[in-house]
Amino acid sequence: MADPPSFRRHPLPFSIDLVRWLPSSASSGRLLAAAVHDPSVPASSRLSLLPLHDPASPLASLPLPSRPTALRCSPSVLAAATSSGSLHLLSSSFDTDSAVSVPGGAGFHVGPVRGLDCGGEGWVTAGEDGRVHVVSDGGDGRVVARRVWDGKGMSGYGAARWASSAEFATGGAGCGVQWWDRRKGDAVVAQCKGVWGRGVATGMVHSIDIHPSRKHVCVVGGSSGTIFAWDLRWAQQPIPLSGVGLDETAQPLCESEVWEVLFDNYTQSSDIISSVSTRILPVMLCSEDGILAIVEQDERPLELLAEPCAINSFDIDPQNPSDVVCALEWESIGVLTRGRDAMSEE
Amino acid sequence: MPGMPADSGGAIVPFSGEPKHAASALPVRPIRHGVPPPISRVYISWSSGNLLQVACLRPPSPEEGAGRGAEEVAGRVVEVNLGVGAGNGSAEVEEEVDEAEMRRIEYGSVPAFALLQSRKNALADAAAMQHMHSVSEHAEWWQYVLEYSKTIGNLLGNQDSLPALMIEDPRAILKVREKPTSLKAAWELLEIFYVDKELHSWLPERLVDWLADYDSLLTKTDGTVYFKLNNFQKKLINLQIVENDDDYWNGLSAALSVGWLDVVVNMLRFHGSYQLGQMDNRETENGLVEAVAVLVSTMPRMRPDLPKGKLGQCCKTRPDFIKAWEKWRGQVSKLECSAFWIQCSHQKTRDGLKNLLHIMMGNIKDLTAATSHWLELFASHFLYIRPFTVGFEGMHHLAQKCIQLKPSFDTNGLTGLLNGILSENPEVVLAECTKKFGPWMVTHCMELLAADNDYADIMLHEERPNFGGISIEELHRLVYAQVLCSHSSTWQIAPTYLSSCLNQGLGLLEILLLKQPIQDNRLVLKTLELCRLYELENVGTNIMKIAGCYHWKHGRKGTGVYWFQQAHDKVRLDRIAQQLFERIGKSVADDNFKQWEGLLELLGSDIGSAGGLEFLHRYRDFKRSLQQALEGRTGEAARQTVEFLIQQLMRNPSTPQRFWLPLLHDSVKLLNCKPRPLLNVAETTLLLNKLQELSMAKLRPDFCSNHLPSHAL
Repeated sequence: MADPPSFRRHPLPFSIDLVRWLPSSASSGRLLAAAVHDPSVPASSRLSLLPLHDPASPLASLPLPSRPTALRCSPSVLAAATSSGSLHLLSSSFDTDSAVSVPGGAGFHVGPVRGLDCGGEGWVTAGEDGRVHVVSDGGDGRVVARRVWDGKGMSGYGAARWASSAEFATGGAGCGVQWWDRRKGDAVVAQCKGVWGRGVATGMVHSIDIHPSRKHVCVVGGSSGTIFAWDLRWAQQPIPLSGVGLDETAQPLCESEVWEVLFDNYTQSSDIISSVSTRILPVMLCSEDGILAIVEQDERPLELLAEPCAINSFDIDPQNPSDVVCALEWESIGVLTRGRDAMSEE
Repeated sequence: MPGMPADSGGAIVPFSGEPKHAASALPVRPIRHGVPPPISRVYISWSSGNLLQVACLRPPSPEEGAGRGAEEVAGRVVEVNLGVGAGNGSAEVEEEVDEAEMRRIEYGSVPAFALLQSRKNALADAAAMQHMHSVSEHAEWWQYVLEYSKTIGNLLGNQDSLPALMIEDPRAILKVREKPTSLKAAWELLEIFYVDKELHSWLPERLVDWLADYDSLLTKTDGTVYFKLNNFQKKLINLQIVENDDDYWNGLSAALSVGWLDVVVNMLRFHGSYQLGQMDNRETENGLVEAVAVLVSTMPRMRPDLPKGKLGQCCKTRPDFIKAWEKWRGQVSKLECSAFWIQCSHQKTRDGLKNLLHIMMGNIKDLTAATSHWLELFASHFLYIRPFTVGFEGMHHLAQKCIQLKPSFDTNGLTGLLNGILSENPEVVLAECTKKFGPWMVTHCMELLAADNDYADIMLHEERPNFGGISIEELHRLVYAQVLCSHSSTWQIAPTYLSSCLNQGLGLLEILLLKQPIQDNRLVLKTLELCRLYELENVGTNIMKIAGCYHWKHGRKGTGVYWFQQAHDKVRLDRIAQQLFERIGKSVADDNFKQWEGLLELLGSDIGSAGGLEFLHRYRDFKRSLQQALEGRTGEAARQTVEFLIQQLMRNPSTPQRFWLPLLHDSVKLLNCKPRPLLNVAETTLLLNKLQELSMAKLRPDFCSNHLPSHAL
């Protein structure tokens, strides 16, 4: 880990909203899935398969009806949700003929679907329209969407994440984080407003992550540079990790929207012994003010990147956790290689 | 913009107010709006970027207004992208730099520009303290500008970025490189003349280097040294004996005249006398070729260093150079008078080599013949005739002479630009940049022009009444910002430029931010971030209010209330609370309990008492507890509910009278509760009193009837 991280920016001839690593094999090389659109061509939103060595020339593309708002990849399936409320699934080998979709509309979501995750019985979707669905395989290549909840516009969701096969968490504007248990009648069993910076009572949740080995802890990113952890065992006391005005003395890590958060398996927790149960594991975040950083409870944050433009999305390669890809506002993607792998990559 | 529905096929034709312009000259764009005629109204407004929103509305049908709406469209909004297809004749540079590439340059130049502006402001503050007149008097200023210039230059294309081939073709005359762009060429030209002070002593050599990089761009019609060599390269594959070909010797003299010494030496080695079989009988000839090659490669150059692969001997100081120059010239003329020429049997070799020597000796006639473009002739003068040319005046004079000898038609703006520079005319330079390279170039090159030039500094920064009180610099920045705003991806960088415009920038920035679409929450957040950065809190608050109204109207009440709360919009929140209060009082049905409960939750308790929200929260708590009591049927829960009813609601004077009846209705449920009576005598009396009061009130004229089941009373 002595080598400094290397960062490479690839300018692209199109805008990237979201980016994810795809499971790669030795033969295919390393691949990325990206939600892209060409700003000068109307209705050009699509999901593209980009090779890591030359992201400017996509290998394949799946046209989408509107701008993608969420993108997730399970080991076998790639899913994208759009701002018109539709969901598109295709195999992670990017076989565009295998694509199936759930159209947006009164029967599904109306408006952007921001929360999307794979797990449990299928894909959970949570939209700004306040609806929550679980989409599962209905056999014969069809998919079935089941409505879990219709908030009738009283809440608008911005994130969703499975914790176990029956539990998931959602978050949104004004409603903080909610914990759902499908065994208890598809209901919210716990709720948390969160700890928001700048003295506001509430903020917008943009992203939630739950560590597979600690399913009772959510880490949440949202407005005003806010990141907090929510441990279900102490549901009334969310743990602030970063935010404006939380600590008067320290300069906040970032002051604007935290777009995505992910637990970072690559960073070793500084205190291994006590980290077994109570400490929150290191979390990576990207923000509107161009920060890619790692925050840890009671530790100084580690800033990996400070770009002049927003970082809208990032992903840590599950197969190669030292590598991070991020989507930059200025029509480019960046690839960050950390640690000793930096030498062998070049 | 005026618009009207045309009769033919429902197309909408924009027309200008001036009748002089024939309609045929206007671009007519049919819009497929899909609204069946008749169309009564057309609204047109600008959306983000180049998008125009056209709303076509049908006249409202009087008898069946709402019922028919679902089946037949009452109107539709169509977005028209004006940027696509409509040729934008902004600048010729667009031809060689495509749109995506230009956007990459635009994005990349933002940090450099912002850094330079902040340094300028810091120095201006320091200058004010030390009573200096301008920022450019600071010693470090030009270095800052140079750093800026290098950053932007790298952005425009990196000459060395292509990986060197492992095996180079020995017969390749010209190195394969990234295709140069005139944008980069123009930028470098400005950097050479306006910014880099360290270069000034060897400016002529720097110009020669520049020409070597960009010779291919000079002209497309008249021919250049580059094209001569390129053509010969193509011919070379089929040539057996190169020295018999005139193009070989022409190419050699052309390359030498503009100082491409490495090319000349490389080409000389193609000479047939080097071939193994020929060595013996062409020994003298080969010796002459080699002697010329050695002379070429040892030519003295007045410059600190040479890039890798280039030939010549560097002389850092003038005396060194003069010494080396005289010695070298002596060797050249000695070879020219040598007796070996008589022994050289090959006529073309003899003439060709002698021509090269004449060029090296600075023979004007041969130089003029060897070069094609006036700039090449200009460069050859520096190399072989006047290596000490300094100062703009001398250069300009020389340039005029060269143009007279080799007039050419300027197509790419580079020679025009050079002319402007040499004639010390920043207005001309600026005009050439505007005309040929577009707003990006003008905005960014103004920093170079004013770096060390007081006249340009004043010219750019003087506020002009005929421009509405703004300076030329601000004018060009505003124009560039408008260009950025017209694209949905680049509008976010426009604020950087607008904020550097002191007079009108901030006003335009506010307009730009307020015009951004508010439909998408993420985009709103991006706009709000810009408001935060530029401390435009009022604008941010307005945007949040607009977004709140939009979401509220579209049924996303949660998001709507969220934005109102963020905007601290007391007026709207109070109105929502008021409406809620009124609606709840009208009905006691339990099915919509859930819905208003959610809204109540959203509004929170900090709204104050304006809408009776405090009471509603208590009422909500009572309802919840009642529900639990009825479901659970435990005596304790029911008892608590009764206490809540009596203490918190019935005895509280702030409970509005109109809620009495619903509350009494609920209490009936509790009365019926088994196994033991929950209400004591005093409590029952209180309830009965309330009921009586209500019955009396019913007789009064201002009584408002509630939708209650009739048996409640």
